[in-house]
Amino acid sequence: MAKDSMVRPAAGKSVVSLIKNKLPVFIVAIFSVILFAAIYIKGGNAQILNIFITGGMWALLAVGLALVFGVMNIPHFAHGESFMIGAYVAYFTFTPMQAYLYTNPSKFLSTMAPFGAILTAGLAGLLLGIIIERGIFAPLRHRTKEGWVMNAFLLTVGISFVLSNGANLVMGPNFRGISRYWDVDAVEIAGAYLSVDRLMALAISLVTIGMLWFFLRRTRIGRAIRAVSQDETGAQLVGINLDFIQTLTFSLATAMAAISGASLLFLFQAYPTVGGTPLYYAWYVVMMAGLGNVAGAIIGGFIVAMLQTATQVFVAVSWTTVLPTVVMILVLLIAPSGIFGSEVKGIQES
Amino acid sequence: MNSNIQAQGKQSTWKKFEAFLNKIGFNPLGLGILIIIAILPTTSYFSQEYIIRWMIMGAFLAAQSVAFDFTAGYINIVNFGFAALLGLGAYTSAIFSNTTPFIAVAPGLNPWISIWLGAIMAGLVGFALAMLTMRLRGIFAAVMAWFLGIALMGLVNNWTALTRGPLGMNPRKFLETTNNLPYFYIVFSMMIGIYIILRMVTKSHYGLAFKAIGQNLDAARASGINPTRYLVFNFTLSAFFAGLLGGFYAHYFGSLTPSTLMHTAKTVEILAIAYIGGRGSLWGGIAVAFPFVFLIELLRSNFTELPGLHLVIYGALMILVMIYYPGGLFGFYTWLKDKFQRK
Repeated sequence: MAKDSMVRPAAGKSVVSLIKNKLPVFIVAIFSVILFAAIYIKGGNAQILNIFITGGMWALLAVGLALVFGVMNIPHFAHGESFMIGAYVAYFTFTPMQAYLYTNPSKFLSTMAPFGAILTAGLAGLLLGIIIERGIFAPLRHRTKEGWVMNAFLLTVGISFVLSNGANLVMGPNFRGISRYWDVDAVEIAGAYLSVDRLMALAISLVTIGMLWFFLRRTRIGRAIRAVSQDETGAQLVGINLDFIQTLTFSLATAMAAISGASLLFLFQAYPTVGGTPLYYAWYVVMMAGLGNVAGAIIGGFIVAMLQTATQVFVAVSWTTVLPTVVMILVLLIAPSGIFGSEVKGIQES
Repeated sequence: MNSNIQAQGKQSTWKKFEAFLNKIGFNPLGLGILIIIAILPTTSYFSQEYIIRWMIMGAFLAAQSVAFDFTAGYINIVNFGFAALLGLGAYTSAIFSNTTPFIAVAPGLNPWISIWLGAIMAGLVGFALAMLTMRLRGIFAAVMAWFLGIALMGLVNNWTALTRGPLGMNPRKFLETTNNLPYFYIVFSMMIGIYIILRMVTKSHYGLAFKAIGQNLDAARASGINPTRYLVFNFTLSAFFAGLLGGFYAHYFGSLTPSTLMHTAKTVEILAIAYIGGRGSLWGGIAVAFPFVFLIELLRSNFTELPGLHLVIYGALMILVMIYYPGGLFGFYTWLKDKFQRK
């Protein structure tokens, strides 16, 4: 949403001053190009494709986080648990369908079944979001707004704790996964083989982000959401139902995380603490891009995927939590409020 | 008349005693309860080894929650890498006291000395983290502390030459005995010491500055407080004590693995205890930790078919307290006290 409040530079402003104003963006752009080239030389096409696929999923998760922070000022720590629930729902809807299709094969149905599972997970996420928002955040919001950011953060920590341990209690610590959604051969793209599931995961995240973008930009309710993110009181004055918008935003974000969890079931098996890694990367993206900056989160997703791939290619997989943190510290030293900046009202308050 | 003077004298010594207690952060009731807790392990029921273990766990959690509340309750920044700092202290101390050939170095220091090295190490990392994040707003600091915690855990997992990674290490113990009772008094006195030091700090003008910063950073800055200085001091001290407690853990349990010690879930447990006890009270966590450990251990032993039930209860209680009773136990106590004093 930073775009709206951005002042257009006056005509005739020199390129130098433009670079100066957006210094972090330029540094990151140059750095990214170099790293991208290095990964290409060392890892080849396969790793480049890997960046896009991982980046797509981090972007989808991070957009939800950025939206919730931008509109409601909630630093959402239970986002990974929405991912987890999406994965569980997809598993429990997909495996019966798979069993049915095993006895009565049908080409059309087996193409459509994964979509059904992912959509169900999205709906479950929507429902979960409504329950959490109405049951937990609305009472707190109506009681007091004092110290909201920190309180909301701690509440989401509690929710995450309850959900993941609750899943452990109900489902047990077992891993529940599938080997693949679409039973077709891998596709060859520029010399690298890629499973259809991965491609579909990328497509799903891009389509979901695109739909969200369209929704926010082109519809009445989307405009209302953006209005609330800019000024709550002002939005209320022009007759926007604050409660409705906030519940809607929260459940949309939860649904996106659930979709993400469902579409990645072949990669992340469903188990109680599966949300940890996605949560970490989503937060990483959001911190790097600027809290609450939705557009920044999309680009940030790909940058973080690049860092991750670079660590895998040049060092070792197990260091992927250590080295990116060092990079993050550097980023925060140069640009304390993220590369693309954030102009969220809540930042000033706590 | 003589007796009257004597009574007055007695009263004034009592008053003096009370004033002294008040100065180090106790009131007679609190002191009484602490003395009872200290005597309990010598009584017949509580002297069973497993009960003493629970008591040790209680004191350990209580001391952690005091150090945690010093940051979270006063400057209103949640140190989300608390468990990792504790683990850093534990590992540093374990490495410096190592005598076995299983890891690369064997300095073989006495554990009583090496725990201070662990504490200093954790304090230094806390200091660096604070310097980096304290100019940002609270939520950045919390999330950065979380990242740092994950990075530290990754480091411990990967630096196998020093830490043996996920295999875990077996640091040597403080004492030769297998008896648990001495350890209880070690951790109990650590808890009291940490409480008294932090209480003295919060009773000084530092405490006022912390509260001011926690409530409204801009207003605090406008009234002439340099937030960075106080924030960094607070964070460093809290991290130092976390490291010290980590050292105790290492040399009491005699086994360390990254995931049982440094995981974020451990921070959340402390957070729940500190918040249910009441933030900004320091003692609230102590009052909650002991009954909690007993409750949890009983739940765990009676509902073995429901693993993790106690964690769900933890989280649910924390949510309920945060929404409906943000003062926690401390808030309840102040309410009760007000009610009695008004009568």
